[in-house]
Amino acid sequence: MKKFATIITILFYVLLLCPVNVWAAESTGGSAAVPVWLCIPFAGLLLCIAVMPLVKGEWWESHQPLVVLLWILVMAVPFAVIYGAGGMAETVLECTVNDYLTFIILLFGLFCVSGNITMEGDFAGSPRVNVGLLTLGTFLASCIGTTGASMLMVRPVLKMNSWRRRKSHIMIFFIFLVSNMGGILTPIGDPPLLMGFMRGVPFFWSLHLFPVLLFNMVILLFLFYHVDKRMYRKDIAEGRKPDISRPGTQFRIDGLHNLIFLLMIVGAVILSGVLPGLEAFQDSAGNVLGIHIFKDVTLGFPSVIEIVIILIAAGLSFKTTPKEIRTRNHFTWGAIKEVAVLFIGIFITMQPALMLLRQVGPNLGLDQPYQLFWSTGALSSFLDNTPTYLVFLTTAGTLGFTSGIATSLGTVPVHLLSAISCGAVFMGANTYIGNAPNFMVKSISDENGVNMPSFFGYMLWSLGFLIPVFILDMLVFFL
Amino acid sequence: MQENREKCMELANRIYDLDGEVYKCVGSALGRTFTGSRENTVQNLCMLMLTKPDGHLLRSELALISNMARTIKDKEAKDRMIAEYDNILEEIEKLPDGFGKVDIVDLSRAELNPTTRKKLSGDDHLVICISRTQGSAGNDIGFELADELHINYYDVEIFNQVLKRLEAEKGSVNDAETESFADFDKYKKRNFSLKTWFREFNRYHGLPRQDAVFFNMSDLICSLARSEDCVIMGRCADAILTNNHIPHISLFISAPFSLRIQRLMASKNMEFRQAARFLRQMDRQHQKYYDFFTGGRWGRPENYDLCINSANYGIRETIDLIERMIDEKRK
Repeated sequence: MKKFATIITILFYVLLLCPVNVWAAESTGGSAAVPVWLCIPFAGLLLCIAVMPLVKGEWWESHQPLVVLLWILVMAVPFAVIYGAGGMAETVLECTVNDYLTFIILLFGLFCVSGNITMEGDFAGSPRVNVGLLTLGTFLASCIGTTGASMLMVRPVLKMNSWRRRKSHIMIFFIFLVSNMGGILTPIGDPPLLMGFMRGVPFFWSLHLFPVLLFNMVILLFLFYHVDKRMYRKDIAEGRKPDISRPGTQFRIDGLHNLIFLLMIVGAVILSGVLPGLEAFQDSAGNVLGIHIFKDVTLGFPSVIEIVIILIAAGLSFKTTPKEIRTRNHFTWGAIKEVAVLFIGIFITMQPALMLLRQVGPNLGLDQPYQLFWSTGALSSFLDNTPTYLVFLTTAGTLGFTSGIATSLGTVPVHLLSAISCGAVFMGANTYIGNAPNFMVKSISDENGVNMPSFFGYMLWSLGFLIPVFILDMLVFFL
Repeated sequence: MQENREKCMELANRIYDLDGEVYKCVGSALGRTFTGSRENTVQNLCMLMLTKPDGHLLRSELALISNMARTIKDKEAKDRMIAEYDNILEEIEKLPDGFGKVDIVDLSRAELNPTTRKKLSGDDHLVICISRTQGSAGNDIGFELADELHINYYDVEIFNQVLKRLEAEKGSVNDAETESFADFDKYKKRNFSLKTWFREFNRYHGLPRQDAVFFNMSDLICSLARSEDCVIMGRCADAILTNNHIPHISLFISAPFSLRIQRLMASKNMEFRQAARFLRQMDRQHQKYYDFFTGGRWGRPENYDLCINSANYGIRETIDLIERMIDEKRK
């Protein structure tokens, strides 16, 4: 049964990726088109992430960097043959310096700071407590970002539920809600919205998406409560029980001062979105000033400032927090190391797919909200959701609408912008690689006694719970 | 068979120790892999090995320990743990397959039942758990049985001790087994006050109060069963003791509905309709409570060692029947 499910999921996964290639082949056709087969290394790497832990788990754990390097080479060498070594170097450096570096530094900063905050207490994880935690985390995600909220909340959730045996579903819904959906309300929540803000979408515009978030939260939390209650009852029936022998609950948070560093990081992210628009950071042609690296690759000063602030915050957090707190939190570098290694491969090997998308996206003829919702979402499930969002935002901006949100990419009607934003943010939850915190939460859970599902196992959960909710979203909001 | 069982017990103990040592080396406060008591965990692991030596369940449980072990910073300690982990895995793989395929005996359950042994061991206490339907004279049978065996009888006393332990006011929580049982309904609307909600949230560690009471009651029932011979009425004691691997005898006493109504009408001075409604409601609530906390089915014969229709024997003869069964096995 498990094998059958895996095969079905693989087929689904291949089908999901194939249309991109088919569209690319059909609509571009000309000599300038990116060869479809250049996307194979990306698909190969994703399949490795999905399959290797199942078939050769220990080998995979110790050889991840080598496998990632191999797939990068498999992409880079043919790329260099087609576009020249310079073109290849430029593409690789561009995504490494401007996308991956800021991405991983932000993740690193949040990982360090949140690892220095620990909760001591004897609250016991029960369905209603878990619903409360997920609700809190979801709203927190819009204030400090999905990554920040995930890192801050993941350990308390694990700790409160440590008495239980069945807890993987809690972490799966945690990924659905806290690591993804919660980021919809502000540009701080999720990077695609920050990109939108940088292109002229008003800062508080995303608050208009609150009804969509609320709709999804109500459905998912209702489902979660019942799934969790079922699991909770099974745990109790097996004789599991929390230690509640003391009357009254003791609760304490250590390392609370790290919230200041967390706010520093959030501030750095906001600055990285605001500064490029200021004249002081632009040259006469309106390009963002920065450190020139290679050809057109420049690390902008706003990014440098963001990186410096985040690293200072992380450093100060480590300096001012006793080591004992990290030990109690079971703080290890394993999770961030795994994400850093896998995502450098993902970022580089997905470049041909993104180039294809940029070529093909505007010619797809998508002009209905539901079309944009599903296209942005389906691609955001596997590709980086920020460039996917930008491609479809550009597409919508070039459709020639005269009323809506005025952005630097053109005027985008509210219903189209809502669909693109929701697709990019929500559907990152469809796979472990759809959004960076997903994998972090999985890795931290794996290290702390939670039997998390495999890549395909997780996709079965998202197929079973998220896709029906997205269909409802489409029927209610995007038709 | 016995030899393999001992081998499994030894392996289970080693797994439990390894988990504890890994958790200690990591220094985490987020919870170890096996959070249950040593006794329970070892028993569960042992049964897992005896019944399904190559089962994926055991492997996935063990994999969680190795996940944590790999994060140990001290290289020497880490190597030691991983080496022990590998040794355990190797020994598990060598375990012979196919135990328990011929006999119908549920090993995990049967060994807790004193009547299936030649006699009670010196360390085991005689614990009789009686579940009963309202009006079947189960309480009278339990009380007189305890009296004749000169052992303690626990019914409402357990609940009172839990209240004391929780420092809860009387009346704030309902006893699941007394006649105000009708108030137990997890889905029933109650008057909501934020102040009360916060107070209860704090008092019961964020758990629903009935769940908190149940967990405390479980602790008490286990400590009673470990320290003395006793008769425990209801409160899912049979399931609690099974989960905690404490030997006991579980009985279910019932009687035909019409006879239970007659008894209730006579003893409580009720009208026929009132008595019938009351009994149906009580059965429903009992079932809901038992099913919620045990995952089993209240009153199903497979959950008990012995089911008795008290109407076929009467109170006196039912007690004699139970006593004969116990005496025979205690000889």
